[in-house]
Amino acid sequence: MGEAAITTAIATEPAVELKGITKRFPGVVANRDICLSVAKGHIHAVVGENGAGKSTLMKILYGMQRPDEGEIRIDGAVVNFHTPGDAIVAGIGMVHQHFMLADNFTVLENVILGSEPRKGGLAVDFAAARKKIKEISDAYGLGVEPDALVEDLGVGDRQRVEILKVLYRGARILILDEPTAVLVPHEVDELFDNLRVLVREGLTILFISHKLDEVLKVADAITVIRRGTTVASVDPHEVTARKLAELMVGSELPSPETRESTVTDVVTLEVSGLTMADTGAGPVAKGASADELRAAGVRLLLDDISFTIHKGEVLGIAGVEGNGQAELVEAIMGMRAINAGTVSLAGADITGWSTLKRREGGIGFIPEDRHRHGLLLEAPLWENRILGHQTREPNVKGIWIDRAGARKDTQRIVEEYDVRTPGIDVDAAALSGGNQQKLIVGREMSGEPALLIASHPTRGVDVGAQAAIWDHLRNARAAGLAVLLISADLDELIGLSDSLKVILRGRIVADVDPGSVTPEQLGSAMTGAGEGA
Amino acid sequence: MSTFLDRVFGRVGLGGVMALVAPALAVVFAGLVTSVVLLIAGHQPVEAFTSLVEYGAQPRVLVLIVNLATTYFLSAVAVAVGFRMNLFNIGVDGQYRLAALVAAAVGGAALVPGPLNIVLVVLVAMLVGALWASIAAVLKVTRGVSEVISTIMLNAIATGLTGWLLTADRLGVLSGNAIGTPPIPGDAHMPGMALIPGTPMKINGFLVVAIIVGVAYAVLLNRTRFGFNLRATGRSEPAAVASGVNVKRMVVAAMVISGASAGLIGMPELLGSSFEYSLNFPTGLGFTGIAIALLGRNNAVGMAVGALLWGFLDSSSDALQLMDISKELVDIMKGVIVLSVIIAYELVHRYRVVAAQRKVSRELAAPAETEGAAA
Amino acid sequence: MLMAAAACGGSDDKAETGASASSDAGATKGGKVGLAYDIGGRGDQSFNDAAAVGLDKAKGEFGMEAKELEASPGETDAQKEERLRLLASGGFNPIVAVGFAYSGSVKKVAAEFPDVKFAIVDDADATGPNISNLVFAEEQGSYLVGAAAALKSQKGNVGFIGGVKVPLIQKFEAGYVAGAKAVKPDIKIQVKYLSEPPEFTGFNDPAKGKTTAQGMLDAGADVVYQAAGGSGGGVFEAVKGANAMAIGVDSDQALTADKAVSDVIITSMLKKVDVAVYDFLKNYTANSLKGGETRYDLKAGGVDFSTTGGKVDDIKSQLDEYKNKIISGEITVSQTP
Repeated sequence: MGEAAITTAIATEPAVELKGITKRFPGVVANRDICLSVAKGHIHAVVGENGAGKSTLMKILYGMQRPDEGEIRIDGAVVNFHTPGDAIVAGIGMVHQHFMLADNFTVLENVILGSEPRKGGLAVDFAAARKKIKEISDAYGLGVEPDALVEDLGVGDRQRVEILKVLYRGARILILDEPTAVLVPHEVDELFDNLRVLVREGLTILFISHKLDEVLKVADAITVIRRGTTVASVDPHEVTARKLAELMVGSELPSPETRESTVTDVVTLEVSGLTMADTGAGPVAKGASADELRAAGVRLLLDDISFTIHKGEVLGIAGVEGNGQAELVEAIMGMRAINAGTVSLAGADITGWSTLKRREGGIGFIPEDRHRHGLLLEAPLWENRILGHQTREPNVKGIWIDRAGARKDTQRIVEEYDVRTPGIDVDAAALSGGNQQKLIVGREMSGEPALLIASHPTRGVDVGAQAAIWDHLRNARAAGLAVLLISADLDELIGLSDSLKVILRGRIVADVDPGSVTPEQLGSAMTGAGEGA
Repeated sequence: MSTFLDRVFGRVGLGGVMALVAPALAVVFAGLVTSVVLLIAGHQPVEAFTSLVEYGAQPRVLVLIVNLATTYFLSAVAVAVGFRMNLFNIGVDGQYRLAALVAAAVGGAALVPGPLNIVLVVLVAMLVGALWASIAAVLKVTRGVSEVISTIMLNAIATGLTGWLLTADRLGVLSGNAIGTPPIPGDAHMPGMALIPGTPMKINGFLVVAIIVGVAYAVLLNRTRFGFNLRATGRSEPAAVASGVNVKRMVVAAMVISGASAGLIGMPELLGSSFEYSLNFPTGLGFTGIAIALLGRNNAVGMAVGALLWGFLDSSSDALQLMDISKELVDIMKGVIVLSVIIAYELVHRYRVVAAQRKVSRELAAPAETEGAAA
Repeated sequence: MLMAAAACGGSDDKAETGASASSDAGATKGGKVGLAYDIGGRGDQSFNDAAAVGLDKAKGEFGMEAKELEASPGETDAQKEERLRLLASGGFNPIVAVGFAYSGSVKKVAAEFPDVKFAIVDDADATGPNISNLVFAEEQGSYLVGAAAALKSQKGNVGFIGGVKVPLIQKFEAGYVAGAKAVKPDIKIQVKYLSEPPEFTGFNDPAKGKTTAQGMLDAGADVVYQAAGGSGGGVFEAVKGANAMAIGVDSDQALTADKAVSDVIITSMLKKVDVAVYDFLKNYTANSLKGGETRYDLKAGGVDFSTTGGKVDDIKSQLDEYKNKIISGEITVSQTP
């Protein structure tokens, strides 16, 4: 065979080809007849709702699970992976959504961990490793400094270290699992620049996501997975985000847009001068104001925060995670002590109230971490219906739990909120994330709350459930509900909010008009780069 | 998701037939292990077990088993109240001993006549148990001291305190080489019940109390708001806090209930058998309760079965010795049972989780199948 | 509290003879003896072992069969009763209960089985026509070794280590203190117990015995009397290390204790549980049991002091003088400290 023939073969064979992949778990088919062809040098996006089967597919491709049927070809050759090790040998690398880096190690140490170059049998050849890392970093424009400590790196840098780690092991095909989930907008752009360099240098990338705008921006080809099977392969230049989403859910989609204002002039929640000190460094004086605390050199988690939410208004709080959102929510819920400031609900000062009393007073709460704060995972749905409403009908009668009442109302929530479950006696843990969230939303909307605190209400929720949750929020808002919305999804924030505030290091640093701001502007305001829109 | 410990301490439900299969398998497994031990020691397992069962089936021994189980069950309930909300009241032992001593002294003083004295003694015991337990609760909510540490310490202090109180110039009365509290007068003895024919021995009247306590425990935990809050706190403290549960108050309440129940542990012995707190008063019952609570997964019926099993095992040590088998075999059996029950529950739990998820996905995937095929 | 001559026997010889529970009473000429030990049983290097020595001797001499059952920690009286009932209904007769813990149980079960003869060691409270109470005047023997300690001490400072602070052991303390003060009224006496009830570990904690003795020696004592069962070995080690003197208990410990330390033992307070058990079984065989209390005191030779090693030969005459005064009633020794 001549040189030319080989070149032709390489050019025509897809880098990855999956044919008829089927994977059954007992009682359920996770992947069914998956067909996927990834051209060499492409960024190929795989999109689908949570639970559609993307993760299983990637685990099969990475050798973590074996398909029951079907065939995997890499560069035209049939392969049979038993372990991720086999996949790595075949040139496949995986960058996980959650970084797997040791904070107290340098980049170099993290990269070579597990595949240390040896010198004379025993000693680690750091020089060789450093040289190789430098080469890779330069070749792909990653800008990774081998001797930096990982704990000093930002999120975007860490992700590049993860990518470099995979390249270091000789990967030619990269699988990136939800790589943008942890990034702020400008970091996303940087990542995409890196990815483009990688494919230009001949690598192939499988990009898993459900953020459609990003997919459209970066992908050369898109495959949509729905309910375990590939339903379409589309060209990103010929498809809109909306069309793509419809392919994912299999039906027409609503948007988070909510323009007709329902805001009234009746104040529901008024927060003024809310200040919370970081007591991790030691006790702080009680009752000290924000100024006094600042003067004393105390780090403030919440710094003199004031705002009001009116009946029928959605107030969005934008911010990079960890800038005080969680503390703000817990302060309003009465779950954490504050150092100064007041909170009042419908004119009543509730600063000294317990969490229970606040809830009884009409605050609904969709927590950020539904598994930790929102659900009793190992309890049946109907018991979860009672959670947070232990003192109210129809869950209780006096000191007694009203099982019949709670069960009946759980059934109502399941129906009204389209919680997909075989029944109300299954444990909450058995439901998918979206259905768990719908149950929580349904529960927190029960008993006609005056204020709803919604922390990342659609995080980790598939598009179908997301639309349903948005609908419920909009309807409740129209009925006069005041909503404090905290979200990392800028489209959601901009689309749902009547007014928007940006939080940075525990302070409200900007007011933004959701009617005119773009996600990019909001993103830069969040990092403190701009003065808002 | 639940942690392994959540499952060990029964804060996670285990429904249906499986809840019965697991412990049954564990007991069978323990029997097998014990058989191997017996064989190694040169005994015939079948013969040994047959005579154990024959021995245990005698009316006289049945009475003994039920009476032992009554005490064990009360202890298990005291422990279980804490377990259900993640509180490890290791101090049940000290609580019941101190409670029994003080109650015995009060009863011996015959302050009130007849059956009223029984009520007084029981109330004093519950009060003392609750107070002693509440020390650990207060330390936990005000100072963040782990209740495991504080209750272990309080056990040691209770030992010292009872030793100090049980001397001739304080609550004790010397009688030969024994020392005990003044005997409780005969009109304040808990009447026994001749429930089992074929023996003059009577079932301790506190069996009725234990049954009432068991029912109250089940109702409190499963049917009341308080019980819901307690279980919610045990399953997920952050979720309970977010739902408005005052966790500190729950800690104190659960500890006080646990301590008050612990106060009852010594009552069957005190009011039904010994009528005094002496050097001979049974010790270590609080730890027996921990084993039985584990065995019964903090479920009232489960603990009752566990208590009866423990009663049988404890009463069988003499029968073993008669066969020239070391009585320590009983301890081996107990250990193996607890261990294998924990393992069996874990296996069953995993099976259940998988089964539940399978069920959910099967029921939800059925319509999808057709839709997917059409797409 | 007798450290038996057979203390080294350990616990591997529990299975004595092949008497089975189902065989008829009286099948053997000498009878089937049932023996119920307190916690620890045979091999505890303490009073259970002492009873075992008496039993072994009687078995050999009278051709008796025996079954030995032992108690578990923390058990109830009902379980003790059941143990005795099991023996009685299994045809065992006579039955010996070792330790005052059986007091209530013996009284109850003896009434249920009037034809079975019972004996209880260390208890006089359980009375009945078919119960023999084998009790000891520990305070009298302890008085003599207390006197010996005071006579031997050069620093005028002696110690007492009790295993568990129960009235029985306090009798040892009371006698010891009285005896020492009789010799030297201003003598300094250190008294320590290794544990308090319901913690009975003090009888089997040599390490704690050692540190406690060490503390006493450091505080100036030069003679230490131990009444701490299995913890005594630790006391002797500490005494040996400090080149001081020790007094043994129950058996003649100059003979039975570890050879490495036995030379520090100047005398031992003998409490002859073995003799008492043997006597009881002998009387049963001879059909001459009277029942009721048998008090093993100085007069009856049930308690005494030992002279092995000749370390108290120089003061033996003085000790014998005290002994005679106690026997004659000129001195009465209190049972409580």
